[in-house]
Amino acid sequence: MPLPKFDYIKPRTTEELSVALAEHGADAKLLAGGTDLLVLMRDRLVRPKYVIDIKGIEDLHKLSWDERRGLTIGAAVTLNELIASKVIRERFSVLWKAVDTLADPTIRNRATLVGNICNASPAADTAPALLVLDAEVEVVSAKGRRVIPIREFFKGVKRTSLERGEFVKVVRIPNPPDGARGDYLKWGRTRGEDLAVVGVAALVANSGKKIMRIALSSVAPTPLRIFEVEKIPKGGGSVAEQISKAVSIVREKISPITDVRGGKEYRIHMAGVLTKRTLEGLLEAN
Amino acid sequence: MSRHKISLVVNGDRYEVEVEANRTLLQLLREDLDLTGTKLACERGDCGLCTVLVDGVPTKSCLVLAVEVDGRDVTTIEGLAEEEQLSPVQRAFIKHGSVQCGFCTPAFILAAEALLKRNPNPTEEEVKEAVGGILCRCTGYRQIIDAILDASKEK
Repeated sequence: MPLPKFDYIKPRTTEELSVALAEHGADAKLLAGGTDLLVLMRDRLVRPKYVIDIKGIEDLHKLSWDERRGLTIGAAVTLNELIASKVIRERFSVLWKAVDTLADPTIRNRATLVGNICNASPAADTAPALLVLDAEVEVVSAKGRRVIPIREFFKGVKRTSLERGEFVKVVRIPNPPDGARGDYLKWGRTRGEDLAVVGVAALVANSGKKIMRIALSSVAPTPLRIFEVEKIPKGGGSVAEQISKAVSIVREKISPITDVRGGKEYRIHMAGVLTKRTLEGLLEAN
Repeated sequence: MSRHKISLVVNGDRYEVEVEANRTLLQLLREDLDLTGTKLACERGDCGLCTVLVDGVPTKSCLVLAVEVDGRDVTTIEGLAEEEQLSPVQRAFIKHGSVQCGFCTPAFILAAEALLKRNPNPTEEEVKEAVGGILCRCTGYRQIIDAILDASKEK
């Protein structure tokens, strides 16, 4: 079926993009990889009068890292560019793993991390990793710029805290604390391309400063960080005891629904299983 | 609806065409350029049968606007053979019986070409990963994987 009709606009600078969004904001959709937008348009779930392609803006293609500021990911950077990055693989392994599980390699040649969070699916694979890494979203509009912590970015199913006329310029991720290790485990119906039945991201450190952070996808209206587990390492106890505490807190704090990919009870069960596996892999290997 | 003049290279030939904003790369190839080797199926990025190479990179052409490929270099299945000489991947597909109904074949062959250019000696796992976005409903995956591994030895 053909796509509905729209006007295509390709700004060359972030200023031009701000102007176009200020003018057309209510009737416009931003296009990066298009792997969500074109599907939504074909299904007539969104009907923009204007499609604004951000890929002509050189600034948004930047992917950079430094020791002090950490990682900066521009809105047009593709997922396969992230996978190719040695620094992400070595220092942001939870993010690398999450990106590597998202859709399939051909989709990842086009799809972007910023598109994944702006689409704001509860199943967004990159979101739990960004949540445990304390990412920040830099947002720009004709009125100026602001920074939104990722934990305040998701507002509901397919809803974000972006206001009319605003776009995400970059996602910034601080360097993880020293000694921290991370992982993302995704449970799908098949090993190939599928949305997560449940996904669990964890970031832990058990030497020096003790840290335990956990966030999940597909278990609530938004990707969810479970802050209640973060005091577990302070309470002491064996690794096995700490993991068992984390599992019961995760099972209690999530509120999954039943859908085509799995029932509510199954999701709660698997969230516990994956939390255990992820933490065991990270804590017992040490 | 806006219209756009674009210039692109497809299989080595330059085309200057005018497209409406909502035209996809898949429609441009099949309907305007009559290159029907690229297949239309799910139109939502799930099946991968519309895969072509854009600047050498496997891309699902149902999820790309034609206007987005202005200035780019596109390769379709029609662009692989030189004269009557099939590419090593194409020959390996014939040798291994990797073609049943044939509908997914152009996509698998193009994804394999891109893989072997980037990684001339892939492992079986790497082959599976590279073609992971393409579905074969005749379920002939074993023969397809064998053909790609065999072609890598020949290259």
